[in-house]
Amino acid sequence: MVTIVSKMWQYRELIWNLTATDLKNRYQNTALGFFWSLLSPLLLALVLYFIFRHLWGHEQDFAINLMVGIMAWRFFANGTSLSLRAIVGNSSLVTRVYIPRQILVLSNVLANLISSLLEFVVLLPILLILLGYLPVTVLLYPLIHAIYFWFIYGAGLIMSSLFVYFRDLNQIWQVVTQVLFFCSPIIYPLSIIPDYLMAYYRLNPVTQFIIMYRDVMIAGKLPSLFSIVLTIGFSIVAYLVGSLVFSKLQRRFAEEM
Amino acid sequence: MSAIIVDNISKKFRIPHEKKTTVFQNIVGLIKRQFSYEEFWALKDISFEVNKGEALGIIGRNGSGKSTLLKIMAKVLYPDSGSVTMNGKVASFLQLGVGFQPELTARENVYLYSSILGLGRKQVDKAYDDILDFAELKKFENMKLKSFSSGMSVRLAFSTAIYTFPNTLLLDEVLAVGDEAFQKKCRDRMDRFKAEGKTIVLVSHNLIAVKEMCQRTMLLNEGRIVTMGDTEKVIDDYLAMLKGK
Repeated sequence: MVTIVSKMWQYRELIWNLTATDLKNRYQNTALGFFWSLLSPLLLALVLYFIFRHLWGHEQDFAINLMVGIMAWRFFANGTSLSLRAIVGNSSLVTRVYIPRQILVLSNVLANLISSLLEFVVLLPILLILLGYLPVTVLLYPLIHAIYFWFIYGAGLIMSSLFVYFRDLNQIWQVVTQVLFFCSPIIYPLSIIPDYLMAYYRLNPVTQFIIMYRDVMIAGKLPSLFSIVLTIGFSIVAYLVGSLVFSKLQRRFAEEM
Repeated sequence: MSAIIVDNISKKFRIPHEKKTTVFQNIVGLIKRQFSYEEFWALKDISFEVNKGEALGIIGRNGSGKSTLLKIMAKVLYPDSGSVTMNGKVASFLQLGVGFQPELTARENVYLYSSILGLGRKQVDKAYDDILDFAELKKFENMKLKSFSSGMSVRLAFSTAIYTFPNTLLLDEVLAVGDEAFQKKCRDRMDRFKAEGKTIVLVSHNLIAVKEMCQRTMLLNEGRIVTMGDTEKVIDDYLAMLKGK
């Protein structure tokens, strides 16, 4: 574990170059490219807002909860579905040259991290307009995002290495994320979940992260100790399992591509 | 001193009777109990050493295990048993221009490719002008790679690769680059590498190139070393073997 971290450090310039390349390709080298990519979450928020406004009309700040939820969700959904292809999509870097292959996953998730940070920057003024103020606790956002990042990186390690062997994983994962979307409190408030289901419901990592984002960005309160411990726990487990699975499976990557 | 020590390497490939690439196929296979595969030994008990400053050629017919051996030395493939020790900085060129991005400019690609080969930004800054001069592409540095001809991008890749200053080079048929004039430049460069005491391992079907570059050569057949020694003699053995079959 320590050796892989020090090896990755040696290759830090490559990690950054691959991340930059990923972003450039994603946004076609234009500044406007990023704003086009914002269109889809904003449109989704708008549509959902109009549909559900009447359903949850009594709920305060529905629009704002929705946007924070979608932002948090997108990092997870895009992060996992794009990092899934990190190995298979870079076959020449796997079969033709030696680099620590974790780099491919890491730089992919880093590119997503930057996208989602940009989305956060765009979200701030919207928050300010809709809320009328910005809670001080927003400053905790980077901390939560860092934990979330490690969780997604761990998940990415698992997904990308399994995808080499199971090429229908992307379709399976698409279905799973769709189910997860509705199992997370994005388009409805947490309060509609019946008590007897709550214990299980809160085991969904994405739920915990969404709760924490809403705490610090909207409610202006510190996230509960329970949430912090649980999310850090999720991230550690995802990272350890991911590293283990990845290092086992990567030995035959070059043969399977 | 040995630059490369290859100790008793074996590599086996699994060839499944029915290739399963999806979860669905694997579940079906599990139910029907179809997990049989054939084993194929691409390399068997390979041991040799390469001295520092030596150029070793590896020749053999298609499928004899040359490229597999080079890939194991380049750490792209893992051997099933045995070990490889490489001393000093290794640059492996199994293919030129790995990771080149058509949407990026020549300049960006030089930086990207150098970092893939393990070079830091500052070192590239220093070598950058030389790289572009050697490739004769200075005029096109801000052009996107997708508008390059294949010859241009290979020249760019080769120039970038030789400026990474490795101690050991692993080459797989990459010397046939560009036109006659550029090839001459490449050969001169390789001679300089040898004069500087760098270690070279060359896998090639081009026997003339092997004869020109390597003092020692290894002949592989069906994953085993047939002979290893003086290049002239090994090439004669190889030609005799081809005639015999």
